[in-house]
Amino acid sequence: MNYELKNADRSAEKVSTWAGLKGLLKLVEQERKTLLLALCAILVNAFLNLIGPLLIGYTIDHYIMQKNFKGVPLYAGILLGLYMIAFIASYFQTKLMGGVGQRIIFELRNSIFGKIQQLPLAFFNANKAGDLISRVNNDTDKLSQFFSQSLMQFVGTIVMMIGSGIFLLVIHPELGLATLVPALFILIFTKAISPWVKYRNKRNLESTGAMSGEIQESLNNFKVIIAFNRRDYFREKFEQANTDNYKTAIRSGLANMLFMPVFGLFSSIAQLVVLAFGIYLIMQGNFSVGLLVSYLAYATNFYNPLRQLAALWTSLQVALAGWERITQILALQNNLLTLSAGTAENNGHSPVLEFRNVHFGYPGGYEILHHINFSLEAGKTYALVGPTGGGKTTTAAMMARLYDPLEGEVLLDGKDIRTYTDEERTAKIGYILQDPFLFSGTVKENMLYHNNLYAGFTDEQFKVVLEEAKLEGLLTTFDQGLETPVTSSGDSLSIGQKQLIAFMRAVLRKPKILILDEATANIDTITEQLLGQILDNLAKDTTQVIIAHRLNTIENADEIFFINSGEVVRAGSFSEAVSRLMEGKRSS
Amino acid sequence: MKATPQQQAQKTPGIFSLLRPYSGLIGLLILFALISNGLNLWLPRLIGQGIDAFEHNSFSFPNMIVSFVSVAFVIFVFSLLQGVVQTYASEKVARDLRTRIAERISVQNFTFIENTTPAKLLTNLTSDVDSIKLFVSQAIVSIVSSLFIIIGASVLLLSINWKLGLMIIAIIPIIGGAFYLVLRRVKVLFKRSREVIDWLNKVINESILGAALIRVINSQFLEYEKFFKASQESRDIGLTILRLFAWLIPIIVFTANIAGLSILVLGGHFVVKGSMSIGEFAAFNSYLALLIFPILVIGFMSNVIAQATASYNRIVLVLEAKDPAATGVVDQSLEGAVEVKDLSLRFGQKYALKDINFKVEPGARVAIIGPTAAGKTQLLYLLTGLTIPESGQVLYDHRPISAYQPEAFYKQIGFVFQDSILFNLSIRENIAFSDTVTDESLEKAIRTAELSEFVNSLPNGLDTKVSERGLSLSGGQKQRIMLARALALDPKILLLDDFTARVDLQTEARILNNISRSYPGMTTISVTQKIAAVQHYSQLILLMQGEVLAKGTHQELMESSPEYVQIFNSQQSTSNYEL
Repeated sequence: MNYELKNADRSAEKVSTWAGLKGLLKLVEQERKTLLLALCAILVNAFLNLIGPLLIGYTIDHYIMQKNFKGVPLYAGILLGLYMIAFIASYFQTKLMGGVGQRIIFELRNSIFGKIQQLPLAFFNANKAGDLISRVNNDTDKLSQFFSQSLMQFVGTIVMMIGSGIFLLVIHPELGLATLVPALFILIFTKAISPWVKYRNKRNLESTGAMSGEIQESLNNFKVIIAFNRRDYFREKFEQANTDNYKTAIRSGLANMLFMPVFGLFSSIAQLVVLAFGIYLIMQGNFSVGLLVSYLAYATNFYNPLRQLAALWTSLQVALAGWERITQILALQNNLLTLSAGTAENNGHSPVLEFRNVHFGYPGGYEILHHINFSLEAGKTYALVGPTGGGKTTTAAMMARLYDPLEGEVLLDGKDIRTYTDEERTAKIGYILQDPFLFSGTVKENMLYHNNLYAGFTDEQFKVVLEEAKLEGLLTTFDQGLETPVTSSGDSLSIGQKQLIAFMRAVLRKPKILILDEATANIDTITEQLLGQILDNLAKDTTQVIIAHRLNTIENADEIFFINSGEVVRAGSFSEAVSRLMEGKRSS
Repeated sequence: MKATPQQQAQKTPGIFSLLRPYSGLIGLLILFALISNGLNLWLPRLIGQGIDAFEHNSFSFPNMIVSFVSVAFVIFVFSLLQGVVQTYASEKVARDLRTRIAERISVQNFTFIENTTPAKLLTNLTSDVDSIKLFVSQAIVSIVSSLFIIIGASVLLLSINWKLGLMIIAIIPIIGGAFYLVLRRVKVLFKRSREVIDWLNKVINESILGAALIRVINSQFLEYEKFFKASQESRDIGLTILRLFAWLIPIIVFTANIAGLSILVLGGHFVVKGSMSIGEFAAFNSYLALLIFPILVIGFMSNVIAQATASYNRIVLVLEAKDPAATGVVDQSLEGAVEVKDLSLRFGQKYALKDINFKVEPGARVAIIGPTAAGKTQLLYLLTGLTIPESGQVLYDHRPISAYQPEAFYKQIGFVFQDSILFNLSIRENIAFSDTVTDESLEKAIRTAELSEFVNSLPNGLDTKVSERGLSLSGGQKQRIMLARALALDPKILLLDDFTARVDLQTEARILNNISRSYPGMTTISVTQKIAAVQHYSQLILLMQGEVLAKGTHQELMESSPEYVQIFNSQQSTSNYEL
């Protein structure tokens, strides 16, 4: 599966407003009941508001024009009653429709986040972190604005418009048709320019994403910018992104503002039509002044919402552009599915992990691993050595099923690793990544991240756990011990300290297979000896896989695999591995 | 500098001061808005006059159509112009403001960026500027034209019939009051909702940056739950805000309807009595429709202004951040002598570094060793002036860093950072990051860092793009590119922060060899974990818990420092293989 969103953008460009809208409507399905109630409230409200001008027109014709005030208070009373009912209906209209909007955006936000959680690591490798964050944050925000603010008005105004349109046609079909003709022009105009407007907005969203990506990159790497005298780099790169954003923003802004004046013009023309045609009809004796006044009100009721609709249409276009970028993510599927349990080969003495004829390459790249065969026994310690770029990390990542092989299979306890559920697999395999990642919180929270083994332990009990695992000695490097705060941008801790936390996190999970991918590279050698003792202290059947450059970290390995140019070779002894490292042709 | 007008304004300048440089554009904008809105007021009057003329049998189709169409067309032209100017003005203000912020940020020192945090600066440059953009594009025009319409419509209403006019105008304070009450409560909720959005964003960011860990630990569901909690909170706040607004809208509509009703009853009464014409009566209805919308707009815009003001205050903090201390003027080339005198650095109460002293002769090679969190990286940052010590000095050729002109200084210092920092540029642009790099020095740096073979194996060679977080490169490749970037400066002094942590032994040995051969006379200060590689250096400095525990040659330390011996022994078993 191609997880690269940026290039996929181009092909998906031509999606019509309706297709996008249909996708959005699907989100509404669950809300059918509330929507029906809301629709009732809207209809009642709209009907009452529409009947108002009619009654006023009637009162004018039959009483005021006749210079007879007697009936006026009666009709005023009726109107007052109607307005009061409309008041209640309008309250429920807002409350119900707004509630729908809030819940939809809630569902939508959750489903995007849920989808991102489902996707495999390959997805994150294929996309810039900055762009992904912008998609999830900014684009959902645009949709959220639409749903929380505009949707309600949208439905309300459309109902109002249709109602007014019907009244216009019922009171006087010919005059009604004439009044509605300008609206037809508006419709054609809108339809004609909408794709262009949406395209402009999408471009603008893209350049906004690019700009925040640029800012993030430069600010996060500011020390390099200073140390290498490239403050101008930040300024130039930013200025470039800023100018680009300015250009696209002007273009989308101009596209968005075009609706308003055009709508205004046509609605003025419609008023003129009503007035001129209406007076002509009155001259013909087919119409009354009272009806003309209420007719003007209906025309306003029809065209004013239309003008609002212009503003809403813009926010709909922006929302649709965001929706499109989001659906791209929602359409992706996890390619690391759990297979139904195959034939279990486990007859008691199958190796704990086995690679059978494994081939692998990242999407769109060369094959990185060729024809890999090896197996790991329970309780032993293995070292993977070899030059940088030789494929060690990739091999380790496949042991943890961060990727699936292109060919061949990886067996865990004699069964295809793909037949294990994620819980089963991750409970067995502990993996300390090359780049330690910490969540904001405390050292303790990070150590126990998603670890249910010690749920409900008191501080005392947890202390005992740490002592048993011999971990308490590592905590002395943190000035506030377990409670030392961690920020996720985290320059408060050194890389070595982060590696220590990641190490403790993995050990506390008690995995059957523990993979250390240069997990201690920035830790001093004395502390590293301590780590060695901790590893020795692990359960006897724990299999360790260690990737390291320091020979003393790997000299105690039971077996050493030499990985280079995508091939894995078993080194007979430690000294053979060393000589291979020293003499072997480096290729990276 | 641009700072001067601001200094005159003394206290935090209000958001309107931001518009001063654009007064021409803004003036034009307001003019266009007033023209188009003013003419909009005229249309109901034309309708009223048309009806009255018809009543008095003086109606003429051509007259009415001509005047109506011309007014409508002029409105069209001016609202179009208004839209264009509005777009340009708001985007221009936003672009210029972003440039100003970025320029201010670009002259700041590292400490400022770290303390303010990149995330906050990103917010300043994006969403804060956006809310100011909204202020320029909508609030100014809306408020000016709304006020104009309200006043205009009121005057016209009063001039037609002052009694009825007063009754209609009475709705303004009622609606305004309702708005005030609701917005006052909503404001608190808005603030809370911003906080929740920050919370949501934090969860999203961490879940994306920590994607690999989450997949290894299978904590996707945990992250989802974290997100769900924040998401739920956000929805609940949204619903509470909604409930308040659900009252507001019906109140406004009802008030407007009551006003319409009084026109009918009272106006009808006047018409019956003959003190008001039927055309005026119709115009009254039209003006009422005109009056409602601007009141709503002002209510909503007051909120936009409040948010923009808050954003602007945050931006001003960046714009008015103190200039970093004045820079020096010395720009001569360095000999390479480094001296550290009584250097201390403190975070809160705890000393990260305390009374550090040592001297490095030009061309000497010195290593700093010590356990995790001993303060080694902090020391290197102080050496390069990235951070400022609490007390003490770093002297280069007997002059403090502050005496040097930064450009001239950094040109001669090569720094290899511990964390892999690569830009989303080509490998060439990453290595030749400083603009003083020549083709020759680039070539030499690549050779020395043992990158030639790797670069040649790439189809696009040096022009291969590095993806954002350097995901396509192995840890060792990234570190070697970082080394080449420092060497490409042809530096007088090279600072290495544990740069061989992820490079294999054989390559490391070759690289170290290459460096001493290709860059003779370069002062090298190297933070490292591996004693074997630096055993023969002229000075080893043992740093522990922020203090220099021992310094001297390998021999001296072996005799005098038990801690050093302990570290040495921890590596002893295999060190015979290491070189």
